[in-house]
Amino acid sequence: MYKKLILHDLSNGEAEEIIPQESAEYTIFPANPAVHHCIGCFGCWVKTPGRCVLKDRGSDFAVLMSQHDQVIVISRLVFGGLSPEVKSVLDRSIGFILPFFRIVDGEMHHTKRYEKSPDLSYLLYGPDINEREKATAQKLVAANALNFGAENYSIAFYQSFHEMKEALA
Amino acid sequence: MKIILLNGSPKNKDSASGIILTALQERIGKTHECVICHAANQDKQEIIQAISGANALVVSFPLYVDGIPSHLLRLLDEIQHEIADTAPGLLVYAIVNNGFYEGRQNVTALDMMRNFCDRAGLAWGQGVGVGAGGMAGAAPVGHGPMKNLGSALDLLAENILGNNSAEDYIFEPNFPRFLYKASAHVGWKMQARKNGLKADMLYGK
Repeated sequence: MYKKLILHDLSNGEAEEIIPQESAEYTIFPANPAVHHCIGCFGCWVKTPGRCVLKDRGSDFAVLMSQHDQVIVISRLVFGGLSPEVKSVLDRSIGFILPFFRIVDGEMHHTKRYEKSPDLSYLLYGPDINEREKATAQKLVAANALNFGAENYSIAFYQSFHEMKEALA
Repeated sequence: MKIILLNGSPKNKDSASGIILTALQERIGKTHECVICHAANQDKQEIIQAISGANALVVSFPLYVDGIPSHLLRLLDEIQHEIADTAPGLLVYAIVNNGFYEGRQNVTALDMMRNFCDRAGLAWGQGVGVGAGGMAGAAPVGHGPMKNLGSALDLLAENILGNNSAEDYIFEPNFPRFLYKASAHVGWKMQARKNGLKADMLYGK
């Protein structure tokens, strides 16, 4: 089975309308209430390899990534990037990769901890998304895929929750 | 002039972002009002108050997952609708440093800072992309491997004091990439040993 991990920043009411029930196929990780932000200690690389040292549920996400075939990120688009709540979870998940470096197409990137990386799918919503923000987000998802070692990625934009809901229906 | 330097590292001390801002503050000189704020320790109201009436805001932060660290992102998200009123005419500069060698890997985060300016109705000053940010403390800024960083900050200080907007300035340390890579690998293994781990345990699942 192709297993999907959904990370989203929707309210409970919105989530009920579009997020599938937890099942063997779907794991749901709400970004709210927000997890503590990364404190930049590198403990996930040199103290408890693969897992953030902070004691809240934000430390679970890196391991969950390794157990799924796809990560679907549903986020408000903020300045062409992810929302603070979703970003907090991803900042805490760099234990998914190793601290060591490799050179890919002439650029330095991290090496992989796990053999396989999940595909990345970003569904980004917000009012008045402009072309510059879209271009930034396109660069972001490509860079995130490269740095998490994902072979496949996709991105979609929605001007409102309702537009997203109709598109996913 | 009033210039606010905002440290966007989550760390209170020994951060590359902080070393960079201290070196920039020295270059701006004591004849100007130039204060360092810390996004991790100060709330929205304190930051808004600090920025009030400022001519320039310089945000210095480490690249996190190809973007802005979440605590700084939250602050920018919260202040975007108020900042233009509190500091009309503010020019925003950003310095992003990353753990990879190439300074150009910071350009997406610099784009995000430009998008913040658009949303906030502020003017963009300049973006600086610092490769191998972890080396910032390896030598005094302006010397040895940190020579390029010194030149970049000289130029940035000149632009801030001249109220100028300029093209992004992207650079690497005066230190070869293969040595940076090799010493980083040695460094991770040394840190592991300090924590009581054997080097091969860093690869654990």
